[in-house]
This record gives sequence, C-alpha cells and structure tokens, in this order.
Amino acid sequence: MPEMGATLITTQSMTAPGDLLNLSLNASAVIPEGFVLLALIGTLLVDLAGEKTAAKWSPPICYFGLGSALLFLSLQWNGNPDSSFLGAFLADNLAIAFRSVVALSTLISLLISWRYAEKSGSPVGEYAAILLAATLGGMLLCGSTDLISIFVSLETLSVASYLLSGYLKRDARSSEAALKYLLVGSAAAAVFLYGASLLYGLSGSTNLQVIGIALINSPTPLAALALVFILATVAFKIAAVPFHQWTPDVYEGSPTPVVAFLSVGSKAAGFGLAIRLLVGCFNAFDTEWKLLFTVLAVLSMSLGNIVALAQTSMKRMLAYSSIGQAGFVMIGLVCGTEDGYAAMILYMAAYLFMNLGAFACIILFSLRTGSDRISDYAGLYQKDPLITLGLSLCLLSLGGIPPMLGFFGKIYLFFAGWADGQYLLVIVGLITSVISIYYYISVIKMMVVKEPQEASELVKSYPLIKWETMGLPPLRFALLTCVLATAIGGIVSNPLFQWANSAVAGTPILQQALEIAYKGNLG
Amino acid sequence: MTISSSTEQICFILLGLTVIVGALGVVLINNIVYSAFLLGGVFMGVAGLYLLLNASFVAAAQVLVYVGAVNVLILFAIMLVNKREELKPIKALQIRKILSAGVCGGLLILLFRVDLTTKWSTPGPAAIGEKATERIGEHLFSDYLLPFELASVLLLMAMIGAIVLARRDVLTSDVVTGDVVNQNLIEKSNEPILIDQSNKQ
Repeated sequence: MPEMGATLITTQSMTAPGDLLNLSLNASAVIPEGFVLLALIGTLLVDLAGEKTAAKWSPPICYFGLGSALLFLSLQWNGNPDSSFLGAFLADNLAIAFRSVVALSTLISLLISWRYAEKSGSPVGEYAAILLAATLGGMLLCGSTDLISIFVSLETLSVASYLLSGYLKRDARSSEAALKYLLVGSAAAAVFLYGASLLYGLSGSTNLQVIGIALINSPTPLAALALVFILATVAFKIAAVPFHQWTPDVYEGSPTPVVAFLSVGSKAAGFGLAIRLLVGCFNAFDTEWKLLFTVLAVLSMSLGNIVALAQTSMKRMLAYSSIGQAGFVMIGLVCGTEDGYAAMILYMAAYLFMNLGAFACIILFSLRTGSDRISDYAGLYQKDPLITLGLSLCLLSLGGIPPMLGFFGKIYLFFAGWADGQYLLVIVGLITSVISIYYYISVIKMMVVKEPQEASELVKSYPLIKWETMGLPPLRFALLTCVLATAIGGIVSNPLFQWANSAVAGTPILQQALEIAYKGNLG
Repeated sequence: MTISSSTEQICFILLGLTVIVGALGVVLINNIVYSAFLLGGVFMGVAGLYLLLNASFVAAAQVLVYVGAVNVLILFAIMLVNKREELKPIKALQIRKILSAGVCGGLLILLFRVDLTTKWSTPGPAAIGEKATERIGEHLFSDYLLPFELASVLLLMAMIGAIVLARRDVLTSDVVTGDVVNQNLIEKSNEPILIDQSNKQ
C-alpha cells in the first residue's frame, strides 16, 4: 500500500512529532535483527565465564540467533511492505533478500572461523560479538529508508569491520589493514554525511521517499553533486574501482574469516544500499547515475580481473577477483530492468556460496600448513583431495564454468544486460570472464597436475588429516554445504530464479521504477 | 538596519573568520599541538554559529562533545605519543601539495558555483529556540527511534572493541589444544609490508 505510506510520510513532515506517538511502529519488521542482538548479548555474557566456556558456548548461541533470524526473515517474505519505525525501515522483499544474504554469510563465516580464532589465540567471545554487531548493521542497512538510519547502520557495519580487520593486534599486517581501512572508511563516511546534508537542505526531510519526490520536482546541480558524494560512499563499500585501493591490503592483513565476511556480507549490504539510494531516491537522475555506474563497472571488471593475474598470495588474488565480481553485479544495477535486478540478487546469492566455499578451503589449508601462497598449493591433490575438490569447484564456479551455480548467475546477468542494450558492459564482462577463468584455472592446475616430486615443501610435509579438534567439524560442514550448493545449485537453480524474480516483484520501489522506465519507453 | 540585526551580522562575520582562519591553520601549520588547539577554536566557532541560528542545544552538545571530548582526546593522544622521530622525506612533496591544493580549490569553486545557482528553500522552518530539547527528545522516541537504539549497539560494540585492542593479557595458549599461540595471522608473512622488520634483532 504505497498510498498509505505516502500519507504517513506527509503527515510526519507536517505535524509535530508529539502527535506521531500515537502511530503504530510496526516494529515486527526487525524481529530478525532482534535475534541477532540477543545472540550478541548472549555471547558477551558467556564470555564473562572465561575463555574455555566462551569457546564452548559461543558457537551454539550464534547458530541459534542467526538461525532464528533467517527463519523469521523467511516468514516475512511477501509480507506487508508498510514502512516501520515511522518511515525509518522497510521490510520489502528486496530488503529481506539482501538481509538473508548478510545473515547467511555471517553464519557461514562464523562456522569457518572458530578454529582460526582459537589457533591464533584471539578471544572468541568478543570476536563473535563484534561480527554479530557488523551483521546487525549490515542487515539494518539493507532495509533503511531514512538517511539517519542509513548512516548509523553504515557506521555500525564499518566500525565493526575496522575492529575485526585489526583483531590480531600482535601482527603488523593486521594493524596496518585496520588503520588503512579506518582512515579510508572515515573519509567515505564524511563524504556521505556531506552528501546527505545537501539532500536534507534541498528537501527538508531525511526520508528517502520524500527526498526522491523533491528531486523529481526540482532537479538542481546541487542534487547532482549530492549524487556524486553518495555514489562515492556506495562505491567504497562495494569496492568498485577507483574506490578500491583499500581492498587488497585490508584483505591481505585481516584474519581470513573476516575477509570472507567482508567480501560477501559487507558487499551485499553495500549493494542493498545502492539499490535503495539510487533507485528509490535518485530516480530523477536516472541517466547520470547509470552512466557513472557503467564507468565504475567497466573499470572494476577490467582492473580487478587483470591485476588478479599477477598475484602470488591467495587472499590477495581473491581480493582482486572480488573487485571484478562486484563489477559483474553492477551490470544488473545499470540495466534497471526486472531481469537486471533479479539477476543481481541471484548472483549475490550464488556468490555467497562459491566465495565462502573458496574461503573455507583456503582457511583449512592455512590452518594445516600456515601459508596462503599459491605456489604452496602445488601437488595438493595427493595429500588432501577434499580441499582440492572443493577449491576447484568453487573457483570454476567463480569463473563461470557450466554447470556450476556461478555460470547460471553470470549468464543471467549477461542476458539481462544484452536484452537492455548494455552491449559495452556485456562485452567487457565476457572478455574479463575469460581472463578470470585463466587465473582461477592456474590455481587448479597448480593443485592437480603437478607430479609428486614437484609438490611444494609444505605439501610434502603435510600433516595427517584429523577432524577431531573442536572447531574443525563446523568448518567441514560449512565447506561441504558451500561446495554442494555451488556444484548442485546450478542444476537445480530454478527455485533460486523464482526466488530472485519474486524478490523483485514484491518490492514497491523497484516496481515503481520499472513502471516509470516503461512509460518513458512508450513516450 | 536595527541594532539587533547589525550585531548579528558582526557576530557572524567574526565567527566565520574564526572558523575559516582556524581551519586553514589546522591544515597548514606543521606543529601538531598548535593544529589541535586551533581545531578546538574551530569547534568553538561552529558552536557560536549554532547559537546565532538559535539552536542552543546543538551548540551546547557541540561544545561538550567536540571540544570537551574529541579535542581533548586528540591532545591526549598527541601527548602520549611524545616521540621524536626523523621521518624519511617524502618524494616530490611539493608537487603533491600543489596537486591536492588544486583538487581542493576546484572542489571549493564547484561548491561556490552550485551554492550560488541553487534555489534554496529559504526561509526554512522557524527556529523553536528553547523548545529544541523537547523536540529532539520527541524525535528520538518517534521517527528516529531505530537509529537511536542502533547507536547504543554501536557504542557497546565500539567499547568492547576498544577493550579487546587495548588490553594487555593476551592468550598464550590455544584454549582447545593447548598449543602456544602468538596472536599473529595464521598465514606466515611473505615479506614485511609497512614495518621494516630487518633491524629488529
């Protein structure tokens, strides 16, 4: 019921807020976030009882919180898309889809991080609490419809990410990563605030819908400036070239499970924010932001994939490859068609499984050998077939080889782009996909085709494979789930397609934007 | 021109000059302590501007938070890191300075241009003066309830993070296996990146 939402917002800007106290909050929209918060407090309380207790009880508490959050998210699907908290939050299908991706990425990141955290000697309870706070920020960011709540949730996500990337404080690389991330991130947040203050000055409101209407009625050069500022922040969050400089260093220096979360959860939240801001608010500047995003997408795809060729460290390679992957997702955003948005959501979901699967494998490898150099993977298939198989499948899927899940996601994105006439983007995407297949395959080749005597020293002295240690069974479970979803998901991807399409169909702002675009085509 | 409006204008010019000169000083002066004190002056000037706009609550918050907390914290940080160190001269510093000055100047001109060409919706809503605190409270518990509550989570998490990063007791053994741990990344360093570790022995 968009009319009711509009009247609510107009009354809100007209009357004194005292009268608003009688309106309904519709707070049930944030029940999933409530469970995440409960788990956060639970892990903190358990942590008071000492490190051993925390290591034992934090995992089940986190599973419970995130599991119930996912359950309630699925119950909200196709629910009433009335805005809650008097216009600060909206639980439409788009928000639910992105919030699920964020929550699921945290769940899998936690599954793969227990052993890593214990082995590096970092406090587990606080680690889980900070990661859950980041999740809370990311989930609220996906559904925020008000500049203030966007900013506060963005900061919750960002500050938690800075803390996590510097979590191994004795390591100079980790501290350097945190410092760089903090400085660049604070600059991006300041730029966002500047843009937001310009928007408030133009419209007199912090609500995205009201701002959108004000911008349609009077598009000024100032609004274009605000658009550039806000776009810079979004591009920073999704690590689009040229706002990507922090990515390789932060990914290399941060603890690997944190990188897994940053590359999926944080990025998904960034894309949720991008749709919310650009489609919901900057409709009047449709051609401008699409042009800017085309440039960003072309740069991200080409630079990310070409620089990834030269990397020797696995984490750094995945960092550059994630920049390239973000470029692919942007194709869907630029299209602005029903298929485009659906392809974006589908690819984010596919990316979740294949990227986290790859991270589970490299974490397991570094736990056993203490290295993430690509050359150290030489000849691994004889010692550890599970890592070899899992990593190969996930990397093939990231490269877009059929019949993996990533292939269907990518082909849908390219199809949507081609149907909308984005020929440049699709051609660049195809060429860079081929480049990306080259460096993904070279890792697989390193693991598989080396003769036994050519294996690296670390692989030659590979430890006996044991799964008993606490923290390893969850890692194995996450690894198998992700690899299975990547391998089989492609064949049975029809429900995923339907899910992505119904996410677009159940989102009022996307439907409005599609209607406007349709009318524009007719006229 | 009445006395009140001319007083207001004089105050505005003085405060504006304080803010601009202070901000330039923060950026241009090499001594970091002077910069920090000038930053305090800039914050005070901005608080004065808020007072001119009849927003006494925001002005008080500005003084308390920015001057009282943020600026004092910066000064503490400077005093704690009281270490003289000869830094390597940065290559082509002059060109970098000119380039960044050019970028900032361009941005300033752009902002001026946009500022002058935009039709602002003036005058804005009338200032409510003394009732501001009440109004802010109402907003915090109605349409800004969600960000207000989330801010408490943000503060809690920031506090925990600060404690974790600052506390000294580091775990020396793996809680599960009992192995010796050192809070480094599991991946061994390939080459030192920022800190030169060669002369540490």
